[in-house]
Amino acid sequence: MTEPLPPRPEPRRQWSRRLRDRLATLLITAGGLGVVAAVLAIGVFLALEVAPLFLAAEASLGWGELWREYWQPGTLPGETPAYGMLPLAWGTLKAAFWALLFAIPLALGAAIHSALYMPPRLRSRLKPTLEMMEAMPGVVVGFVAGLVLAPWVERHLAGALALALVLPAGMLLAGMAWTRLPPGLRRRLLPGWAGLWLMPWLALLATLSLWLSPVLEGLLFNGDLRHWLAARFGLDYASRNALIVGLAMGFAVIPGIYALAEDALTGVPASLGEGAQALGATRWQSLWKVVLPAAAPGVFSAVMIGAGRAVGETMIVLMASGNTALMTLSPLEGMRSMAATIAIELPEAVPGGVHYRLLFLAALALFAFTFLVNTLAELVRARLRRRYRRLEAAT
Amino acid sequence: MSRFGRARLPRGEGPWPWLAAGSVALSLLMFSGLLLLLAVRGLGHFWPAPLSLVALEDGRLLAGQVVREERLPGGAGRERLYLTANRDLDGAIWSWVAVDEIAEESHPRDLVVLERTRWGSFHGRLLALEDAAGRVEGEAAWQALQERLGELEALRRERAHLRDRVVVPLVRRLERGADAALAAELGAANARIRQLQARMGGTRLLLESVDGRRLEQPLEQVLRAWRPNAMSAPRKLAAWGHGVWRFLSEGPRAANTAGGVWPAIFGTVLMVLLMSVVVTPFGVLAGIYLNEVAHQGRFTRLVRIAVRNLAGVPSIVYGVFGLGVFVYGIGGTLDEWFFADQLPSPTFGTGGLLWASLTLALLTLPVVIVATEEGLARVPDHQREGALALGATRVEMLTRVVLPMTAPAMLTGVILAVARAAGEVAPLMLVGVAKLAPQVPVDGEFPFLHLEQKFMHLGYHIYDVAFHGGDVEAALPLVYATALLLVLVILVLNLTAIFLRHHLRARHGTVPRR
Amino acid sequence: MSESEAMVYAVGAAHQRGTAVCGQPPGQWWRGSPRRQLTRLGVALLLAFCLAGSARAADDEVVGTLGAVGSDTLAGLMLRWGEALTERYPAVRLQLQASGSASAPTALIAGTTRLGPMSRPMSEAERDAFTARHGYPPLEIEVARDALAVIVHRHNPLESLTLAELDAIFSRTRRCGADEPIDDWSQLGLAEPTGRIVLHGRNVASGTHDVIRLHGLCGGNFRLNVNEHPGSAAVVAAVAAESAAIGFAGLNHLTPSVRVIPRRDGESGERHPPSPATVAGGDYPLARSLYLYVNRRPGEPLPGPERAFLDLVLSQEGQSIVEELGFVPLPAAARARQLGRLSDGPVG
Repeated sequence: MTEPLPPRPEPRRQWSRRLRDRLATLLITAGGLGVVAAVLAIGVFLALEVAPLFLAAEASLGWGELWREYWQPGTLPGETPAYGMLPLAWGTLKAAFWALLFAIPLALGAAIHSALYMPPRLRSRLKPTLEMMEAMPGVVVGFVAGLVLAPWVERHLAGALALALVLPAGMLLAGMAWTRLPPGLRRRLLPGWAGLWLMPWLALLATLSLWLSPVLEGLLFNGDLRHWLAARFGLDYASRNALIVGLAMGFAVIPGIYALAEDALTGVPASLGEGAQALGATRWQSLWKVVLPAAAPGVFSAVMIGAGRAVGETMIVLMASGNTALMTLSPLEGMRSMAATIAIELPEAVPGGVHYRLLFLAALALFAFTFLVNTLAELVRARLRRRYRRLEAAT
Repeated sequence: MSRFGRARLPRGEGPWPWLAAGSVALSLLMFSGLLLLLAVRGLGHFWPAPLSLVALEDGRLLAGQVVREERLPGGAGRERLYLTANRDLDGAIWSWVAVDEIAEESHPRDLVVLERTRWGSFHGRLLALEDAAGRVEGEAAWQALQERLGELEALRRERAHLRDRVVVPLVRRLERGADAALAAELGAANARIRQLQARMGGTRLLLESVDGRRLEQPLEQVLRAWRPNAMSAPRKLAAWGHGVWRFLSEGPRAANTAGGVWPAIFGTVLMVLLMSVVVTPFGVLAGIYLNEVAHQGRFTRLVRIAVRNLAGVPSIVYGVFGLGVFVYGIGGTLDEWFFADQLPSPTFGTGGLLWASLTLALLTLPVVIVATEEGLARVPDHQREGALALGATRVEMLTRVVLPMTAPAMLTGVILAVARAAGEVAPLMLVGVAKLAPQVPVDGEFPFLHLEQKFMHLGYHIYDVAFHGGDVEAALPLVYATALLLVLVILVLNLTAIFLRHHLRARHGTVPRR
Repeated sequence: MSESEAMVYAVGAAHQRGTAVCGQPPGQWWRGSPRRQLTRLGVALLLAFCLAGSARAADDEVVGTLGAVGSDTLAGLMLRWGEALTERYPAVRLQLQASGSASAPTALIAGTTRLGPMSRPMSEAERDAFTARHGYPPLEIEVARDALAVIVHRHNPLESLTLAELDAIFSRTRRCGADEPIDDWSQLGLAEPTGRIVLHGRNVASGTHDVIRLHGLCGGNFRLNVNEHPGSAAVVAAVAAESAAIGFAGLNHLTPSVRVIPRRDGESGERHPPSPATVAGGDYPLARSLYLYVNRRPGEPLPGPERAFLDLVLSQEGQSIVEELGFVPLPAAARARQLGRLSDGPVG
């Protein structure tokens, strides 16, 4: 005999349940919309604060003022301040450029190796490790870059610059040596694990290069690389310069680019790569000619998101760049970024004054730039996902 | 790509894959190098360093700890930096000595290091201890010193207890309304404090620096004394442990260049707690709205993209928003409405715990929303449909079926938000952090949680001591230790989130809903 | 019974039942079951809004929170004075924000603080803005004196500099009379260090920055490639790390890793190193007074904590702390004058 049906709840309880449902839905909608509105209100608020600069008569500024070359807001009595934002914009872009120059090869290389060559167990360990690298607070990276790395690089400049040549050469050397190893050793040092066993080799090379730095300097540069650079190229060396900032910010940005690029590369349908290999291509050739072009939009969007992060990083630039409002191309000179300027000068700007509103303008510029870049990247990734689905369906 | 199996690299792969492998190695090398640097310099600070007695060629003597060596210009050899302390005798605490000028370097066992409340540390020898009972010299003086220091520590603790637990509450109660009994209690407490101070005083140490200058040091200004060259390894380990503990539990001394970081730890934890109390309900609500309630059309897609983008907006922009809206806007208005009698001393119209927590909550909101959405997407549709089929209303389906299954994802989101907030310094520079605020915002007096107070923060403390401090060289070891602490906290939080997410995937699989 | 009193009694009753947060030592407030914690926290949060803020002073005990926003140069001094004040009056706390002198007038005008330490005097514009906002001028109290030293790396053999040379090195306007810019160490006749002079200074928020511009650069502008640091200690650390560097920092931040360059008089060739004597005698131009600006309505007494703090600062103990930190203490006559200003009405 089947079980009797459970008794129907009486109408009053039904009604109260429906009421509760309506109320709760209303609450959720209100809360959700409210939160979303609050989050989007940031841009609106910034724009509102900036508007009086260009509209109102008092505390206003002509557009031309902003394109001057000096940023000198603090003044002695009887002076007019200079509010040229060009050096700040230049500094921000220069810092981001050097950070990306350093981060993109490393992040993309890591993504390629991890997507194509690494065994899945190792890859699942690598991803969280690099995620933790991203979690390192900017203030710690900035402090190490400004107080430890900068003086040390200055004392070992030749060795540090030589690393840019020595390390890639060392990687290639390791590859050549590996192909000549006896098969027993090759089975121990699997190429899929090369990301790990190359570490001690590279560490050794780096130590050697830095140890030989004074010898190098003596032999090639008359004992003083800085003097040689100044005499030969007219390049002045500042202790806290774009190279240091690029290294530090690149370190902070690598994990972000790596994660997205690796997602893009693993998302490419396997059939494409397998097809290329079936036609006789090596793994690297299939990557270069088939997989990478297919994943290109995803990789591009990863780079864009990295650029957004690099533009907005405050503490690293504040501590490692020297904060000199220069507009030069030289990587050996410092710079001043917009974010650092806001952090230093906003507490001392009189609320409602021109300086205050200009700093809000800088914040608005940063907001708009990162928002646009991220939106673009997100749209590109959405299109890429659709493209992969089409490719998947087609093959 | 793992579907290629674990095929070996054929000989003809070429050189490029090795560059890719090297990129991974280099990134990992940089990361581990940074962690190693922080660990060695940070933890090494608490290990009692040996004290060298350096005799120079020209007859001068100095006692100091070796800090580092540098090359002299022109290839003339090297020079060494010694921390020689004795600020009141020498005027400075550092000495640069050319290595060639060192005639002899030894480590005598009787050299003493004293940590003091004024003028920093002392390096030298203990000659005698004098008090009302008389004068003790030699080794007996050392024993007597350690005993008296122990007593002094107990007296200090009692005095601090009296001050914080008895005097301060009495004073606050008294100023609300005079009362003869309370006033008598206060008088008795103050008298007891004066008694304690009298007992702490009266003892003098006769010290001598290694170059023969004598110094009379009142004992109540001495915190600790030890003989680094006479300590065995287990004693040093114990001292190291005590040093780490004091670093974590004491407040800062000597204008942030000595002592510990307890108020900064407490401030960071409290702020992060408040922030998560604010961000969790709103983030979850928004995530539920976007995923379950809202019509899944173009508008919702755009909103979703916008929310994800906001995770990438620089943190300084949130700080600017917080300063403009919370501090100057809402805070100023609150002051005018409720605390006008306190003006111009601001209550809420200045940076503080509340505004900092709200600003960081706004900053980490996208993280929680995205994590909640991911968790909701992972709940299979048939669970929802089943609940609805059994007669549940939508909200009942959400609260009884979907949300419990999403709880781990929401928790992951909150943990990631907390990890992000613990490391952000830029917005706090604008909305609420102080250089020194040794009184933590939670205490035993009404209303117990002071939301308008400024607080200290671990990340800002690093920046402040490294760049605003009095002597960067002296403060550098403390900065390393604070940086190590911050990094450890963040790493532990991230590991927890990663572990949770891994556990989630194992439980529910990775089937996306859409 | 007023509403606030009712709340106080409610909390007091809860305290007696032992369920309130109050009464537990700060390190242990987290004990108890989670639900209890949450309830306590919720109650505390609710009530926190009602009675926040600093307390009024009693007759012989001083109670309250002292806030100060301003100069980095004075930060160490303010912290030590704050510690001494808490030693004397355990119920007083000091909260300090030190991002630079320029943040003090902003905070004083906006009302976010009552005390503003500054390492330079307030400009006319700042005073006017303050008066416009509050209706009375700010009270200026001189608390210590300081000298700004020009520093180089310890291995730099540079012997002295005239004012014109200093100007030519640091500025791009050269208003002190130099003909040409000095970019290279060789222009000063030195074989070591070689190469370009690397400049270090303070950022715009700092009073030190303005003092150097006024007295060192004759009102001119700094070069664009001066590395800007947030604190004098950072300048000292940067100069100590680079052999081709020159910078300026307060006397109290010097270490043996850097060398102080005395000023050389252009005509007489006399050397004037920065010291209390030359500062008092006026021979060292890069000297300045350190100020504390107070927001006090004329006719109204200062609140207890502020009054106690200022009394301590101008006392013997306060000035001995000044000396310990490397500044120049006020001579007795100047101290008496400042104490007089505190008691009488403010005279701008």
